[in-house]
Amino acid sequence: MKVIEISRRRFLKGSVALSVYATSSLNAVTLIPKSITQPTNKIFNNLKEIPFLCNMCRNKCAGIARVEESIVTKIDPNPFFPKSRNMICPKGNAGIQALYDKDRVKYPLIRVGKRGNGNYKRVTWDEAYEYIKDKLIKILDEQKDNRSTIAYCNGEGFNKDEYIQFFGGKIGSANFLDEGSICLNTKLGATLLTIGDVGEMDVAGSDFLILLGANRFESLITPDSVDMARMQKEQKLIVVDPRATVTALKANEYLPINVGTDLALILSMTYIAIKENLYNSEFVKKQFKDFDKYQEHILKERYTSQWAESKTAIPKEKIEKLTKEFFDAERPLLYMGRRSVWAKNDFQLRRAMVLLNGLAGSINRKGGIIFGEPIKLPQEEINSPIYDNAEGRFDLDGVVYGSRKGGSWLNFREKVITKTAPYEVKAMFIRKHNLMQNMPNIAKTKKMLEMMELVVVLDTMPTDTAIMADVILPECTYLEREDKVVSFNRLEPSLALRNQVVQPLYESKSMQDILKGLGKKLSKPLFEISKKYDEDLQDSIKELGEKKAFNEGGYDFVELYKKDITQRNQELIEKKFGKDVYKTLKDRGVWYPNIDKHHKEIFNGVYEYYPEDKKFYSVDRKFKVNCYLKKLQKNGFDPMPTWRDEYDFKVAKDSFRMITGRYVMFTQSATTNNSMLRDLEHTNHIWINNKIAKEKNIELGDLVEVKSSIGKVKIKAYPTNKIHPQVVWFAHGYNSTSESMTNSYGNGANDNEIIEDKFEKIYGCATMHHTDVKIRKL
Amino acid sequence: MANYGMAFDYKLCINCRACEVACKEENGIELGANKHRLWIETKEPSGDFWNLNREKMDFMQLQCQQCEDAPCLKACPHDAIYRDKNGIIRLHDEQCDLSLDCVKACPYDARYVDTRKNITDKCIFCADTRLDRGLMTTACQVTCPSKVRIFGDLEDKNSEISRTLKEREYFQLKVKKGTKPKLFYLK
Repeated sequence: MKVIEISRRRFLKGSVALSVYATSSLNAVTLIPKSITQPTNKIFNNLKEIPFLCNMCRNKCAGIARVEESIVTKIDPNPFFPKSRNMICPKGNAGIQALYDKDRVKYPLIRVGKRGNGNYKRVTWDEAYEYIKDKLIKILDEQKDNRSTIAYCNGEGFNKDEYIQFFGGKIGSANFLDEGSICLNTKLGATLLTIGDVGEMDVAGSDFLILLGANRFESLITPDSVDMARMQKEQKLIVVDPRATVTALKANEYLPINVGTDLALILSMTYIAIKENLYNSEFVKKQFKDFDKYQEHILKERYTSQWAESKTAIPKEKIEKLTKEFFDAERPLLYMGRRSVWAKNDFQLRRAMVLLNGLAGSINRKGGIIFGEPIKLPQEEINSPIYDNAEGRFDLDGVVYGSRKGGSWLNFREKVITKTAPYEVKAMFIRKHNLMQNMPNIAKTKKMLEMMELVVVLDTMPTDTAIMADVILPECTYLEREDKVVSFNRLEPSLALRNQVVQPLYESKSMQDILKGLGKKLSKPLFEISKKYDEDLQDSIKELGEKKAFNEGGYDFVELYKKDITQRNQELIEKKFGKDVYKTLKDRGVWYPNIDKHHKEIFNGVYEYYPEDKKFYSVDRKFKVNCYLKKLQKNGFDPMPTWRDEYDFKVAKDSFRMITGRYVMFTQSATTNNSMLRDLEHTNHIWINNKIAKEKNIELGDLVEVKSSIGKVKIKAYPTNKIHPQVVWFAHGYNSTSESMTNSYGNGANDNEIIEDKFEKIYGCATMHHTDVKIRKL
Repeated sequence: MANYGMAFDYKLCINCRACEVACKEENGIELGANKHRLWIETKEPSGDFWNLNREKMDFMQLQCQQCEDAPCLKACPHDAIYRDKNGIIRLHDEQCDLSLDCVKACPYDARYVDTRKNITDKCIFCADTRLDRGLMTTACQVTCPSKVRIFGDLEDKNSEISRTLKEREYFQLKVKKGTKPKLFYLK
């Protein structure tokens, strides 16, 4: 979308080559502003090119940073990484602006005013750790060493597992939450429970691809989006969506649909495939479990194309044609995501999608859901204490499956604020997770954070969540640190290393260094609390003596950080793969077997990474496609995908169904302050069908009020023929309430102020497309 | 010595605007919607939501067309505009007095005013930021997810651009103006 009604001239800041505030000092305590006054880049001295992995979104594309005089002046794609296909997106290019954002959290801060007011005093790292220590001692003493009173969370990223090792393993809390329950856990769960693996989708290998809602050209996922953009003439892309996204508009065919009715479409395709014997009977016979039950169920429910038309608004002829084309194709793929959970039937939808892929035989084969062969990395062993008084997690109570790792945010929050949790949660450590923007009903999140005695935020930016913290710890950006080596992908597997590009600016530190400092401060005092309440520990001390009980029990929180990350990576990689692989990872950022032999340019920056016969399309593995899930039936849910009347698309009178999504140049609220990206899409607009807008006398740029049962926002209007007449949409991630985020403060509207908080009960995921809103021109 | 040109597999564009950001970062372009060396012109679908007509809809990559017969070069009263050794239309910054004759003369709307340097600026194929370093790619080209742009020497018969133009049909923009643009849009 390009809305040009606004002048963006006030953003005359200039890009990085113009004005850079950085420092070449290795220990950047005092900031030395440095300004390059020539817009063109003529500094060729001290030039370094460092391979790194991007972190502007979840993809981790490989880039090469050009560093001149210790300043990052340009980011180019790294051609060696199979996953990112030698490209860097707008966000990746603007990563330089994240590094040099003048609004970054620069020093450790302790709150002096009311939560949310944004008043903080600058303190030393030691003062910040000391403050945290004192609070934790008090809280854990009051809670009699129930470690789970300290909840901790971390959004998507490389360091998440290490963060869990620290707070879950070493400190001992059961309450970890991550983005999965406000993202795609139903997709992962449905795939895992149906075929025993989360799989990977081979987009490039498919000749007929159906996308349900996944907006792959405005929400870039590598390599999927790139492979879709580079699709050849013989490959067909079909997009089904209640909004004509760029992906829909670029597709071979676009099918508009009613919100939340995708399941009806898939059930009908399943019905047609079974009824007309279109499916791959050989594959079904060999791999399906309980197919007879599924067949009987689908036929009995009579999910005809006519029935589906009444639910989805897609003409029945088109449903029939789509089904025939899908099963006629050589390598059809019903693309499994990825996207957030929208409707309460999402788990069932994803299941029905896996099953339909199965009916086409598109599992463990080229152009299907593949298992592949990831490169296995060795694990670092650490010793974690067992705390006698640490209680279990409670956020999966009432949820059938749920992620044992990342839990359910909405259930957790609800139980905390209604005080129905089995014990009090008194402290929260929040990293790379903007709670005050990322989940429906912000008022409830605010209430939860206000109930805490200690909130600590580790972040690079003074986000809406950061200003709810007692202590803000400045983490460095991805360009300022090395992270642990990561194994990527299954079809064309590789290892990739995020090298440090420049030293951390200001007083920021890497997560490892932050946890090391915190660990040093906390190990002994928290051990003292356990000594007081933990009978097992008391016995162990009697038997072994205090020193040995401490060391052998794993109470030393700094255990993992005795060596720095560079040393750890080197040892880990050299031990299993040898010195040459480590050197390749340092020099090129990427390694995979036979990289020198197999990596070659085909044409104009398009590379081949693995020859066709070396890709892991099909692997020798026993698996079943499970049609029937007994556990669901036992818990009162449909054991097989089924349509329920309550799923019908019905919008309240004089209202619209509010749906959400994003612009291509933003990653949720994480990039919202980036001056370069902000310059591309200065504010968000609400999409409203042009005919309806005309009736309501709403024109482009008019300010409208959007009101739901939980709140209201003001936003500018974008009347368009690209949206369903009963639906409105605007992009997530706008309008910070933190004044320190100078570009995003008070700009546009935040969807989560009006989206009602509901979650589905199979995975505990927040659903996002059930809120009806009223619109009024202001 | 070369004669640089660019071909566009323009239908592959998904309007992600990576090229725009890469250009701004590489060349230190002023921020602002009307300040750019390259941009994507979008044509929206027509019709009703349930029956959108996408025939005329497209994303078109626009920038200086590096005309062989460049109206801007002729229009400049101070001879500030010149063709460099690689056939790229450039500007002697110090000779520009913002008469804006070149801006008016350009049929492609390729020039804008850089208010910091007080010059008219436009795409120069990253001549001073990349080609001078010995790189053989432009920032927009190399970053693109779908690899829309093919850049290279039109004189070199074996270059990717020469081979592409030999193999595929293409069109140029506003050929009737007689500008002989060196940007080619692949059909």
